[in-house]
Amino acid sequence: MSQKKIQKMQIDTDEEIRNLVIARLTTISSDTIKSIGDEGTFTRDELIKHVEKGDNIGKTIQAVEMEWLRAMKGGLIQLLYGQG
Amino acid sequence: MVKGKKLLITRPEHDYGTKYLSAWSTKIIKEALAKGVNVIDLHGNKAKQKEFEGRIKKLDPSLIILNGHGDENTVAGFDNEHIIEKGKNAKYINRPLEDKRAGRFLKSSNQVSLSLLKGHSAKEASEKSKELFRKEIGILLTSLHSDPDSLEDAKNLLWDMQHQVCLGAEDKKL
Repeated sequence: MSQKKIQKMQIDTDEEIRNLVIARLTTISSDTIKSIGDEGTFTRDELIKHVEKGDNIGKTIQAVEMEWLRAMKGGLIQLLYGQG
Repeated sequence: MVKGKKLLITRPEHDYGTKYLSAWSTKIIKEALAKGVNVIDLHGNKAKQKEFEGRIKKLDPSLIILNGHGDENTVAGFDNEHIIEKGKNAKYINRPLEDKRAGRFLKSSNQVSLSLLKGHSAKEASEKSKELFRKEIGILLTSLHSDPDSLEDAKNLLWDMQHQVCLGAEDKKL
């Protein structure tokens, strides 16, 4: 596979994740407020804007989503209960 | 600061509806005063956002009664100026300790300090905190499909748990 094709697939995946994150954020309560490290505190609508822009805050929100999806795939139940 | 229980009530009076609400609210005010509750009465053109937020910050009322027009996202005051807007200043009517969603996170992270105070080591304190994170996520797992906030909170709890680290001497105790 060419380098160009790989890059395009990467962009498509990023776009898909971004759209997924935005779709999920729109379903949560509009008065949700999140504090993100030292970046500050954000309302749901502000978070959506950051994800749309793809800035650092938006990327953090995407990373949270990815970590969750990975945990679901890798066995969240095992992670939570399967200590033994 | 005024001591004892405090009731903050808004009584805009700029149309028939709000005049009725205001008049009937005098019964609540009388009852409150009879019970020894301090009443902060934002009456007429005092029922505005600036006054409302200022009084809440300064006096921290134990009960807030809002009279006025509005919809599912807002409550209005005098001349229909928004006093409370969901997503903007609704936090002023919250009681942090009664915020169940925030509690999921803060109970878990507070466990580090509580465990240290109980004499556990740094590592044990972090582990006990993570146990609580896991428990909270487990509780949320049962309602993921019916409540979008639960899914969001579970994701964020997992993130916080995974990224909480214990650095330095893990065996140190208070």
